[in-house]
Amino acid sequence: MSRLRVAASLIVVGLVILATGAPAVSQAPKYGGVLNSMQREDLPQGFSIHETGTISTVWPSMPCFNNLVLFDPLKKLESMDTIVPELAEKWSWQDNYRNLVFFLRKNVKWHDGQPFTSKDVKDTFDMVREAKDAPAKLRINPRKDWFVNIDNIEAPDPHTVIFHLKRPQPSLLLMLASGYSPVYPAHVPAAEFRTRCVGTGPFKLKEWRRGEYVEYVKNPDYFIKGRPYLEGIRYVVIVERGTKYAALQAGRLDIAFPGESTKTVVEQVKAAQPKMVVSVVGQNVNDNLLLNVTKPPFNDAKLRRAISIAIDRRAYVRAVHQGGAVIGASMAPKPFGVWGLLDKDLTALPGYGKPADEKAKAKKLLAEAGFGPSNPLRVEMATRAIPIYVDFASFVINELKQVGVEATLKQVETAQWHPLATRKEYQMGANLTGIGADDPDANFYENYACGSPRNYTGYCDEQVMKMIDQQSQELDSKKRLEIVARIQKQLEEDAARPMMGWRLDYFAQWPHVKNLVPHHNLYNYGRMQEVWLDK
Amino acid sequence: MRTYITHRLAVAVLTLVGMSVVIFLLLRLAPGNIVDILFSTGGYVSESDKAAIMKELGIDRPLWVQYVDWLRDILTGNLGKSYRYDLPAWQVIKPLIPVTVELAILSTIIAVLLGVPTGVISAVRQDTTLDYLLRIVSLAGLSMPSFWLGMVIILALVAWLGWIPPVILVSPTENFKIHAVQFLLPALAVGYRSSALIMRITRSSVLEVLREDYIRTAWAKGQKGRVVVWRHALRNAILPVVTVIGIEFAFLIGGLVVTETVFNLPGVARFLVQAILWRDYPIVQNLVMFIAIVVILSNLFVDMLYSWLDPRVRYGD
Repeated sequence: MSRLRVAASLIVVGLVILATGAPAVSQAPKYGGVLNSMQREDLPQGFSIHETGTISTVWPSMPCFNNLVLFDPLKKLESMDTIVPELAEKWSWQDNYRNLVFFLRKNVKWHDGQPFTSKDVKDTFDMVREAKDAPAKLRINPRKDWFVNIDNIEAPDPHTVIFHLKRPQPSLLLMLASGYSPVYPAHVPAAEFRTRCVGTGPFKLKEWRRGEYVEYVKNPDYFIKGRPYLEGIRYVVIVERGTKYAALQAGRLDIAFPGESTKTVVEQVKAAQPKMVVSVVGQNVNDNLLLNVTKPPFNDAKLRRAISIAIDRRAYVRAVHQGGAVIGASMAPKPFGVWGLLDKDLTALPGYGKPADEKAKAKKLLAEAGFGPSNPLRVEMATRAIPIYVDFASFVINELKQVGVEATLKQVETAQWHPLATRKEYQMGANLTGIGADDPDANFYENYACGSPRNYTGYCDEQVMKMIDQQSQELDSKKRLEIVARIQKQLEEDAARPMMGWRLDYFAQWPHVKNLVPHHNLYNYGRMQEVWLDK
Repeated sequence: MRTYITHRLAVAVLTLVGMSVVIFLLLRLAPGNIVDILFSTGGYVSESDKAAIMKELGIDRPLWVQYVDWLRDILTGNLGKSYRYDLPAWQVIKPLIPVTVELAILSTIIAVLLGVPTGVISAVRQDTTLDYLLRIVSLAGLSMPSFWLGMVIILALVAWLGWIPPVILVSPTENFKIHAVQFLLPALAVGYRSSALIMRITRSSVLEVLREDYIRTAWAKGQKGRVVVWRHALRNAILPVVTVIGIEFAFLIGGLVVTETVFNLPGVARFLVQAILWRDYPIVQNLVMFIAIVVILSNLFVDMLYSWLDPRVRYGD
C-alpha cells in the first residue's frame, strides 16, 4: 500500500513538473563578474537615447536607465502580454483606453541620489512629444510621432502619472516598453546625456573613454532587491570586423553586438568554438526599396508595381543574406513578430509568386506604361556607400535588368543619405529600416503616414491612413490583426515601399553568460539586470 | 646654425599656415556636415532644427570667419570643442597622442634594428645566397601591407593559440607585460614593412661606399672587416638611411590608421578617420595640424642629425 502511495506521489510530482514546465535542474544565479560586450562603434550621441535612432546608442545606454514598463527580458517574442513593470509598479487603462494611469514605485533614487517622482516621467514625455509647456527641447527628436496621440500628461501626486489620450491607443504601452523610451531625470538637462548618464537603472556609469569603451558598475541602490547580478559591464568599441570576432572567439568578449553577426561569420566562429551559443532571432529590421512616389517615373502606380514584382525576394534572401533573412510584408513575419502575414497571404501578394511568372507580369506592366526593349525605363538607384546597402542595390539592379529596366547605381555618403531621402531627391533607393517595437502604430505612423519625416517615399493614401487610424484604436486584438493584415496587403499592392526581407540576427554568446535572452527586436533587451555569469 | 634653424622654423610656420588652409577647405568640400550625421542617426532631417544646431555650433557663419576664429583659437591655446563629443577638443585628443607616438617609436626601433644590420650584411655579402635570401625577405615586407600582416597575426593567434592581446588598452603602470604585448605585435607588423625599406636603402648606400677608395685603403692597411664595414662604410652610408627613417617615422604618426584599427589601439590615426566620417571639424583640423607639426619637426631633427653624423655637412647662413 505504501509503495503504491509513493509511486502515485512520484507520478503526481512528475506531472506537476511537466505541466508547469519547471526544469529538472535549476541553476541558482551567481553574483559577481564583469560582462564584456562587443560595441560596433563609439556611442553616436552619448547616452541620449531620446535623440537617436541607432542600436549603437541604445545597447550600451540601456543599463543606465529604466522605463515605466519594459518587454520581459527573458522572453524572446515581444507583445502586449510580455510587458513587465519597471518604474511603474502597475498600470491601468481607464475610460475605454483614453487614459493610461501608471502607479510608480516608491523609494526609487536616481544615480545622483535624487528621488524619482512623477515629475520626471511627465517632463520626459512632454519633452519627447514636444508639448507646448515642455521644460526642454531635444536637439534631434526621432520618435515624436510615437506620442502624438497624447493630449496631456498629468502628475497628480509624486507617485502617479496619467497619460490622457486624444483617442484610444492600446499601442502606447508597447511603445513605452521599447528600449527607446527611458525616463530621464527632470533635474538633469537633456543635453548632458550626450556626455554622461544619470539614470535609475541597474548599473551606474563609471567611465566612458571616447573611442575605447564604456564601463558600468553595479548600482547598489537599485530598486529591485538582489539585482543586478553582475558587478559591472564593459562595452568595448571594436570597429574592425575581423578583430571583434577574434576577440569574441578568444574570450576577450563574452557576447556579440545585436544585429552585427551575420550567418556566415557566426558559422565560422561556431566552427572554431563549438561551445559558443548562437541564438537565431529576428532583428525587426527590414530591407526595403524606396520608390519616390512624388516624382516621375514612380508617381505611376503601375510602374511601381512592375518594379516590385520584378524582384525575386527568395533569391534576394539567398544571395544577399546567404539565407540569414526571411521574407515578409511591412510587419515582421511570424514567428519573429506578432503581426506578420500568414504564409498563404504573403505568397498571394504581387512579387511573391513564381519568379518567372512575376517577371513576365512585370514586363507586361512596363509595356502598358510604354516601356520596352526599344524604349527601356532608365532609373537611378541611390544608396549609402556601405557594403550591406550596395549589395542590396546591386541585386535589385540585376533583377530589374532581367525585365528590361536599366538602373544605375548612385552611392552616397552617410552624411548625404537621410537629407536626400527626406527631401525626396532620388528616384529609387535601397534602404534599411529598424523598428523600435513590433507594433503597427510604431511602424505605420513612422514610415507610411502622410507627412511623417521618415516616410521617405512620400506615399500618402487616404484609405490606408483611415485603416491605420482604425487599427490604432481597435481594442479587439483579433479585429485589429485583421485590419493590420489588410493594410499590409494594400501597401504591397501599391508598392508603397516594397519589402525585400527581414533580417535575422545570429547572436553569439559564451555559455557562461546566463539569462541574456536575445529578443526578436534589437532595441529592447539591453537592460542586463537579470544577466549573470557562471564562472 | 642658429640662422639656419630660424629660417627652417619660419618656413615651417608658413607650411603650417598653408596646411591649415588646405585642411580647412578640404573638410568643408566633403559633402554633409556634423548635423547631417547627427540627423542620420535619427533617420530623418528637420531643416529648421538643422539650422538651429548649425547656428549653435557656429558652422552657419561665413567660411573665412570660421577660419580666422580657428587660427585665433590655436594661437591662444584653445583647440575648440568636439562637435561629436561635446567636450574640449584637447581633452579628446590628449590621450590619443601617447598611443600613436609610442607605437611609431617602437615600430621605428624595430625597423632600424631589423633593417640596418640586414642591409649591411646584404651589401657585404653581395650576390651570395644570404644576400638573395635577405632581399627576398625585404621584398616580401615591401609587398605586404602592414594592416594585412596585422590581421594575419591576429587571426593566426586566435586560430592556433585561442588567444589575442587584451582589446582594451592597459597602461604600463597597471601591467607592463600586457602593455608591451599590446604594442609589440602591431609594432612588429609595421616595423617589418619599414625595415624592408630601410634594408634596401642601407644595402645600396653601403654598396656604393664599399667601392670608394678610402674603403679600399682601409682594407689595404689591414684593418679588421668589422671596423671597415661598421665604422667606415656604414658611417659614410648612413645619411640617406637616416633620411628614410625620418620620413618613415613622420609617416607613421598619421599612417597607422588600419594597424591601430586592426589591433584596436586608441591612437591618433584611427580616431582621425572616425572624426572625418563624423565631420568633427575641430578634432580633424587639430589632429592634422598635430601630424603636420610632427612631420616638420622630425624633418628638422633629421637635418640637424646630418651634421652630427657627418661633420663635413655645413648649414649655410
